[in-house]
This record gives sequence, structure tokens and C-alpha cells, in this order.
Amino acid sequence: MITILRWFVFAVAAIALNFPVLVTLSTSFKSARELSGNPGLWVQAPTFENYRTVFEVSDRLNIFLYLFNSLTVALMGTVLAVALALPAAYAIARGRIGERTLLPFIVNLRAVPLIIFAIPLYMMFQWLALLDTRLGLGLILTIVNLPLALVILVNAIRDLPAELDEAALMDGANRTQILIKVVTPLCRPAIVTSLIFGFITAWNEFLFGLMLTTSKAVPVTVGASFFFAASGGGVQWGVASAVMIVGALPPMLLGLVMYRQISGSMTAGAVKG
Amino acid sequence: MTIARPQTNAPEFRLLATPLVLFLLVFLGFPALVNLIYSVSEVTFETLRQPRFTGLANFLSVWSDAAFWQASWFSLRFGLLTAVLECLLGLFLAIFLSPLIERRSWLMAILMLPLMVAPALVGLMYRLVLHEFVGPVPYYLWTYFGASISFLGPGSAFWTLVVVETLQWTPFTLLLFYMAYQAIPSEIAEASAMDGARSLQRLWFIELPMMGPTIAAALLIRFIDGFRVFDNVYVLTGSGPGGSTASLSIYIYEAFFKQGAIGKAVAASVVLFVASFAVLYGLNALASRRKGAKR
Repeated sequence: MITILRWFVFAVAAIALNFPVLVTLSTSFKSARELSGNPGLWVQAPTFENYRTVFEVSDRLNIFLYLFNSLTVALMGTVLAVALALPAAYAIARGRIGERTLLPFIVNLRAVPLIIFAIPLYMMFQWLALLDTRLGLGLILTIVNLPLALVILVNAIRDLPAELDEAALMDGANRTQILIKVVTPLCRPAIVTSLIFGFITAWNEFLFGLMLTTSKAVPVTVGASFFFAASGGGVQWGVASAVMIVGALPPMLLGLVMYRQISGSMTAGAVKG
Repeated sequence: MTIARPQTNAPEFRLLATPLVLFLLVFLGFPALVNLIYSVSEVTFETLRQPRFTGLANFLSVWSDAAFWQASWFSLRFGLLTAVLECLLGLFLAIFLSPLIERRSWLMAILMLPLMVAPALVGLMYRLVLHEFVGPVPYYLWTYFGASISFLGPGSAFWTLVVVETLQWTPFTLLLFYMAYQAIPSEIAEASAMDGARSLQRLWFIELPMMGPTIAAALLIRFIDGFRVFDNVYVLTGSGPGGSTASLSIYIYEAFFKQGAIGKAVAASVVLFVASFAVLYGLNALASRRKGAKR
């Protein structure tokens, strides 16, 4: 009896938590005519028309560009963050450099409202001609990803036995060599986790995309809202739904496939950070 | 054999940490400096390079701006409410559903899905969900109850946003609590069962106290994220109706981009910066003192 109740609660929670995604998915398959008469979840005559419209490139709307921008800046913001964090994490965990200054500062960074840095960064980017460039947005996403990457990597390196380093030192290796040849291969799971988590975070970022890009480097989270006003008149909800699904799908699929790694890293950031 | 390893290797370790430190100096140190300078200057978009020192005028204009206090109050209330609701709901689901999830971990993947969607997109999705003509929620309310409300209207916008935020981030607390719950050694459950403790007693006196640190961490993280909320609120209500749903992040954004009040926006940023770092370092100090006391 209690098991049935548990399944019932699970079903309610699964539907309630995923409700916006379910509604959007269903609406994306409705024709404009069906939409006006049937706001319910069930689709009577499914159509791909909305998706066809989304992938039509016009001079004002280009979904391929937005997706490409999101992909590039997310990859850049993720790889650069790990590349910067890994050597620093090694120095913090083994050399105890900045353990009481750098580490807490960066961990706290994760909790600071990012808008604080947004305005001076906007002006700085104006001087450096980085506004509306993928490079500029990628650099900012690196900052967004750094805190969690650093926490995950410091914890991973601390868990490695220090004897490995000592043995390699005896063999005449220097710290950089140890980092590249010993630590990096052993930390691969933690590195992969930071990459996945960073990619999802970066793909889903909105505030800096909104502020720092206008046309050439617009990511899909910002570009999606362009479709809301696409036709001049009212919102074409079928098309708007299709573009939201397209924009939300990559991180959702990644999350579904990799949810074990992600759940691990979320708790790492929460419990140890 | 004791070698003074850390000392001999210190320069090498410093070198390894250098790229990160340089990156932070350029992308955070410089902006922080700009923030400080502009916050005490009179500056417009035309005079960005020639800021004129005006002392605390910007801070005073923030201090006397009713919208600033309204936004602070919104952020505080929003952060506290969503954090508490998310933790209560997450705690219930984690404990009640754990017998199901233990055996089928893919159930957790379904519950975690909202965390993967951009909050900005979730906000846009709710514009559809709550739409008075094409949205399913008003439609079902009309069909089954014969009445619906204006979800983003003056009286209800705040509560709608609280529900939107809570539904998206409850999976986060659920996940955290589920892991903490699983980490409780099974001997403890067995021992207390032998002592005749009923499951509710066990929950209240043993399991919840053991999950205490995780609950505190989840409350803090969710409060911070709720306090600095921007994406979903911005796309759902902007700041309306009548500025009633402007968070501090939105206040600063609008001061800068919509009003062009650079000085005011930057001064508010500095206030927020100092306040958040003070709170965070205070909490860190508190946490490490408690750790020290335990040892």
C-alpha cells in the first residue's frame, strides 16, 4: 500500500517538476490552428511545421548561428576553466599555496551575484572591442565555471596518495612533469565531471549573453527570446515552443546520459565547498 | 627521512598557480577597481574616460532610492522563501522516495531533469504555461474549477515566481538530501530498530540531526541563488508589475541599461559586493571555528 503511495508521489513530482518542459514539448507539435482551440497537453494532429520554421534562416533569425555560438562559448568557457584550475588545484592541494586565500576567495565567488562584475566588464569589453564576440563571452563563462572546477579538482587531487608524487620526485621529475604525467591521468574522472558540469552551466547562462552580445555572438538562451516577437504581431507559440525545445535539448540530453557524474559534482560543490 | 619538500618546491608551485591568479586579476581585479572608482564619480556614457570625483553622492542616491530598498526586500524575501520551500519539499521527496530510487536510480535522472534546463528558458516556458489563452494551467483551471487568476498580475506575480523558482530547484535539494540520507550507516537504523524506535522517531531524533550539516548547506546555497536571482524573473515579469518583482540583480541591470545611471548602478554593485563578501567570510570563519572546536 505504502509502495503505491510512493509511486503516486513520484509521478506527481515528476510531472510537476517537468511541467514547463512537457507543456512546451507538446505545444511545439501543435499547428497554429490547433493551438487556438486546444491549450491542453494532448496533441491531436502532431506537426513538424514549427521546427521547420525554426530552422529556416532569415536575415533576422538564425538558429544555427545561436546554437553554434552557444557551443563555442560553452566549450571555451569549460576547457579554459579546467586548464586554469588544474595546475592551481595541484599547487593548492600539494604545495599548499593559497589554501587560505585563493581557495576561499574563488569558492566565495560562486556565491556572489555576478551582476556586480557585469557593468565594469561591459565597459572593459567596449574598450577591448570584445563586445558581441564569442571570445569575450567565452572568457566570462570561464569565470563562471572556475569556482566549481577548482573545488572538484582540489578535492580529487587531495584524495590521491602523496606517495605517488614523492616517488616521481625521487626519479627526478619536477612538479610540472608530475602534474602532466601522474596527476592528470589519475584525475580524469574529476576532469570529465568538471567539463560536463561546466558545459551545462555555460550553455544555460543568460545574464552575460544578454548584456555582452547583440547579434553576432548571441547564444541560444538569448536568441530564443527573439523568436517570441518574430512575426511582428502576437507571439507564435508553436514556433516559440520549438525553439525553446531546441535550445534546452543539448544540456538535457547530456544531463540524462551523465547524470551520475553530475549528481556527484553537485554534492562536491555543496558539501565540501 | 624528512625532506623540507614544500619549501624547496614553493616557487614551482607558485608558477603553477600563476595563470589562474593573473586571469582573476584581469577579469575580476580590474572590474572591481573600475567599480570602486566609478562608484565615487560622476560619469555618463559620454565621459567614461574622464570620471569626475563626487565623493559619496552615488551611494547617497542609492540609499535614498525607494526602488533600491524595494529590490533588496524582494531579494531577501524571495531568497528566504524559496530556500525554505525547496528544502522542505526536497527533504520530503528524498526520504519518502528513497526506497524507490535505491533500486532504480534512473528515477532520479527524471527528477533531476529541470536542473539541466536554462532558468531563462524555464521562465519563457512559464509564459506559455500560464498564458491566459494558450496556457494549459488557466485552461485546466477554467475547465475544472470555472475560474482562473492572473498569475503575473500585481497580487500574485511574487508568488508565481516563488513557485517557478521552487519547482526548478527542488531537484537540487532532493539530490543533496538523498545522498546524505543514503550515507547514514545502516547499523544506526538497525540498532535503533532494536531499541524499539519507530520509524518516525528514528527520523526525528536520529536521521534528521545527522543530515543537519547538509540541510544547512542546502539552505545557504539556495538562499544565495534565490537572493541573486535574475534570469527567470527577468524573462517572466521584467520587473513588473510596477517594479514589484525587481530583484537586486535586476535593479542594477535596469539602472545601467535602461536608465543609463552608471554611477548609481555601480554604487549599488559595490554595496552588494561588500555585503556578500562580508557575509560569506563571516560564515566561513564561523564554520572553521566550529570545525576547530570539534577537534
